[in-house]
Amino acid sequence: MSNPISLLVRDLHVDYEIFEDRRAALRDRIVRHQGTGRSVVHAIRGLSFDVAEGQAIGIIGSNGSGKSTLLAAVAGLLPPTSGEILVSEEPKLLGVGAMLLPAATGWRNISIGCLALGMTADEVDARIHEIAHFTGLGEALDRPLRTYSSGMKARLHFAVSTSVRPRILLIDEALAVGDQKFHKKASARIEELLAGAGTLLLVSHSMRSIEQNCERVLWIEQGRLRSDGKPAAVIEEYERFAS
Amino acid sequence: MDTAEDTSNLISVNASLSTRDYLIEMWNRRDFAISVPLEQLRSAHKTTLLGNLWHLGNPLLTIAVFYFVFGTLLKSDRGIDNYLLWLTIGVFTFRLSSSAVLGGATSISANKGLIRAIKFPRALLPISVVTSHVMTFGIELSLLAAFTLTSGVGLSRRLLLLPAIIVLHTAFNLGGALIAARLNEAFRDIQQIIPFVFRLLQYVSGVMFPIQSFLGDGIHGPAARVLSLNPILRIIDLYRWAFLGTAVDVGETLRVAGISLALLWFGFRYFRAAEWRYGRA
Repeated sequence: MSNPISLLVRDLHVDYEIFEDRRAALRDRIVRHQGTGRSVVHAIRGLSFDVAEGQAIGIIGSNGSGKSTLLAAVAGLLPPTSGEILVSEEPKLLGVGAMLLPAATGWRNISIGCLALGMTADEVDARIHEIAHFTGLGEALDRPLRTYSSGMKARLHFAVSTSVRPRILLIDEALAVGDQKFHKKASARIEELLAGAGTLLLVSHSMRSIEQNCERVLWIEQGRLRSDGKPAAVIEEYERFAS
Repeated sequence: MDTAEDTSNLISVNASLSTRDYLIEMWNRRDFAISVPLEQLRSAHKTTLLGNLWHLGNPLLTIAVFYFVFGTLLKSDRGIDNYLLWLTIGVFTFRLSSSAVLGGATSISANKGLIRAIKFPRALLPISVVTSHVMTFGIELSLLAAFTLTSGVGLSRRLLLLPAIIVLHTAFNLGGALIAARLNEAFRDIQQIIPFVFRLLQYVSGVMFPIQSFLGDGIHGPAARVLSLNPILRIIDLYRWAFLGTAVDVGETLRVAGISLALLWFGFRYFRAAEWRYGRA
């Protein structure tokens, strides 16, 4: 018997309504669907899969295939249009674009990020140095976040998100931007997480980091599942498609 | 993969929380709700020479301008004792409402980064903005107390009721902030309109001149009645009563208390009803 399921996605659809022009959107509302400015993007069109505890899943696909949307939906940040997402515990999303408070220093961002994740002020005080040490950012932590490179932001965000030891961790491209040294530390932490019956969904364009960290790969194209299986096989299929 | 597994231990990520659970969830993150406004207060005037002194410099300059225009030029103080104190109370209290509602309106768009990164009860954002303004207001009140002492009015026992007045006022402001937050998310135009709404309110709330005495002899009929319904007018009256002992209408006070609590209740529900939408796209 395999491990219990920790994440179940059933016939998931996610649509975005895009307002191309705010003024058009307002006119639209007043004149009832007259004029343009509004269009619907079907980002996810019927995805189903399940993930067992302790599994690390890589998600690959072209730009705009719906990978990031899928992670945001699983994190509960984007409500599905239809279908359902069931989880054993609240997933934590780690995305590379996420800016916490741009004007605040790295230290304050660590502390505010941890508080937002549900730590108390005392817990933050007790753990902030360990978290700061993990980022490896040193004196840069005294500078405002907006002065950080994308790799530095990713490191800070990774350290914060994994500090609460989430049982379901969703990583969106965040590993690709860190440098080699940080990469190793991050992989070690992910292994630790998986060993504790954690679950990982990793979105990446780096096939190397997928092969390194994942035992199964989902290939998504235009919001639909193209392939699901062992990394080597799926990646080969994807690379043939992409070239 | 084996799909015939037992899934009874799984919960939906989109299950919406009951009001009780939502409040518990907010309470668990109270440290977060306080640290965000503190951070914003710290960084608000970072680029100016005087820095955090501007939290006080701004209202004090406003008072100076109003004192010059309404007290010295227009002489519209209409025989108010301690006009400067009377004006100061009006400016401080009114500013708390206007900045809380305007801050609430932009609280969602200003924190897109947090919203996209972390799942937490979004009502904490307008709440933390309102909290930050109440903190500044606390400093203003101690300044006011010092003025009151040095001006020879003395501190009355009525000030013991000040916390209750602040709670009521905050309920009103928070209700407004929650409503403004949701409206501004649907129509970004709202944040352009709010300052003008408050500019109008400033003139009809008796901030710089006693609108009541104009209501008495200048304006009659429906217009006067509409103007006297203004809750902010009554809230400022309460502060003036506490500090200066000016008259206050008990019936009106109860009505304002009712309005404030109703506004908070409605604002909370209204804000939550669209919670899933904040930070989309």
